[in-house]
Amino acid sequence: MIEIQDALRKKEIWAVGGGKGGIGKSLITGNIGITLARLKKRVLLVDADLGGANLHTTLGIGVPEMTLSDFLNRRVETIQEVIIKTSIPNLSLVSGAQDFLDAANPNFAQKARLLRHLETLDADYILLDLGAGTSFNILDFFLFADHGILVVLPEPTAIENAYRFIKSAFYRRFKKVVSSQNIKDLIDAAMDQKNSMGIRTPYDLIERIKQLEPESGEGLELEMMKFRPKLIVNQVRTKNDIQIGFSMKSACQKYFGINLEYLGYVEYDDCVWQSIRSKRPLAIEYPYSRPARCIERIVHNVLRKEQLTASMLY
Amino acid sequence: MIKKIEDLNYYELLEISTDASSQDIHRAYDRIRKIYEPNSIALYSLFSAEETTSINQRIEDAYRTLVYEESRKRYDALLRQSHQPPPATAAAPLAEKRYQAQPVQPSLSLHSDNRYLKNAEPAQEPLPPPMPAVVIPTPQPIPPTITEFTGSVLKALREQRSITVRTLADMTKLGTRYIDFIEAESFSKLPARPYLRGFLVLYAKALGYESERLVNEYLKRYDAVMNPPKQK
Repeated sequence: MIEIQDALRKKEIWAVGGGKGGIGKSLITGNIGITLARLKKRVLLVDADLGGANLHTTLGIGVPEMTLSDFLNRRVETIQEVIIKTSIPNLSLVSGAQDFLDAANPNFAQKARLLRHLETLDADYILLDLGAGTSFNILDFFLFADHGILVVLPEPTAIENAYRFIKSAFYRRFKKVVSSQNIKDLIDAAMDQKNSMGIRTPYDLIERIKQLEPESGEGLELEMMKFRPKLIVNQVRTKNDIQIGFSMKSACQKYFGINLEYLGYVEYDDCVWQSIRSKRPLAIEYPYSRPARCIERIVHNVLRKEQLTASMLY
Repeated sequence: MIKKIEDLNYYELLEISTDASSQDIHRAYDRIRKIYEPNSIALYSLFSAEETTSINQRIEDAYRTLVYEESRKRYDALLRQSHQPPPATAAAPLAEKRYQAQPVQPSLSLHSDNRYLKNAEPAQEPLPPPMPAVVIPTPQPIPPTITEFTGSVLKALREQRSITVRTLADMTKLGTRYIDFIEAESFSKLPARPYLRGFLVLYAKALGYESERLVNEYLKRYDAVMNPPKQK
């Protein structure tokens, strides 16, 4: 009985990223947070978009007094001191850095301290809203989380970046598990798409590593199975747009060997834009709108460890 | 445990289990074709145009092999064999394997405008060594004399693929009577033109053709009899 309670109490960290900017990462993070808080979970949102924080705005909070930069800069001792209560019960926020120019590029020690403090926090769910791009900091936050969630739009640019993100995150994870410097160099070289060794896909890389060091190769294969990023397609307008998620899932499986889990999609609706304009969260302002419903469904899928299947659509 | 796309067997390719029913196979095929639709924006940054073509061709091959009971049995036997010794092709260079994914049957190559098969025509090249793909009932090459899809040509094509009227009826959900009428060109017994068009599309798909040319040519013959151009 106690074990069950412990398992229930275990806190989960979700990170929401996606490579491209302006695809709704903050909006989705914020509204997932509200949905979870409504389910009586204690939720902490962390704006880890260090260069361009605006999660507070999607929640309708003005520029906060205490932000992550106070913590990173050691103006405060613990992360507890920068946590702000929101008007929504059970939901609190660590706002992103506002002023500190260098905060966009915290050094290793700063990042480690942040992650360490996050682990000690008392909450059911900690949601990290990541910034755009595939910089090491972003990838590390993504890999640190229990669930790494990718957002894409049904647009070529966003999809390209999502693949790039998956690949980068995956190679970075690889690099962390292998110890041999040779293999690390090999992974670095493989990141270059036009590398001279003919390594184009993670398959090629693993095969090459298996030739060099069979044991590391097998370890990496295991690692590949464990890496299960999750996918949300945002701003869906047609059935074909929904289909893109399935295509990406299958293509990832067959090209990268990575199991991408298709959590769900968020329908396009003007009410999202209106809610942002009015600086009121979507799930509060339009709780029965289709996008808000979609987000609820996504949350349920994560909680039940389920994903979208094609048979639900046709 | 992790396999390259070229090494996936037909079941893995269609993402179905080895005991899938024929209905499952139909559904999986529909689904997977939508996933690998050549213009999909989810694919181009991972797969080159040739790779997408080759994947689509393999999907076609997989479907056509698994959907017919006979060829599926043969394929299953082949799979079981290849489980003990690793398939000899595993070490073959990539380019060769890709080539083998090209069609061994004439099925779709009738169409000069078929975008799936732009690079599939070199018939002079030596045939690839036997591969799983060969288990498809290899039909006779279509005689070059066939310039038109008449009822008897349809029948011949169907028989080449060793599909019985009954099987075709199951695949298309058309009545066996209508299949007979189509093949006998008993135009007056067939239903109205729009229905017939639909039937022909199903027939064409079952044979593995893009339906457009087949349907148009057949309907032209139909029109000549049923709706003759008005004389003065």
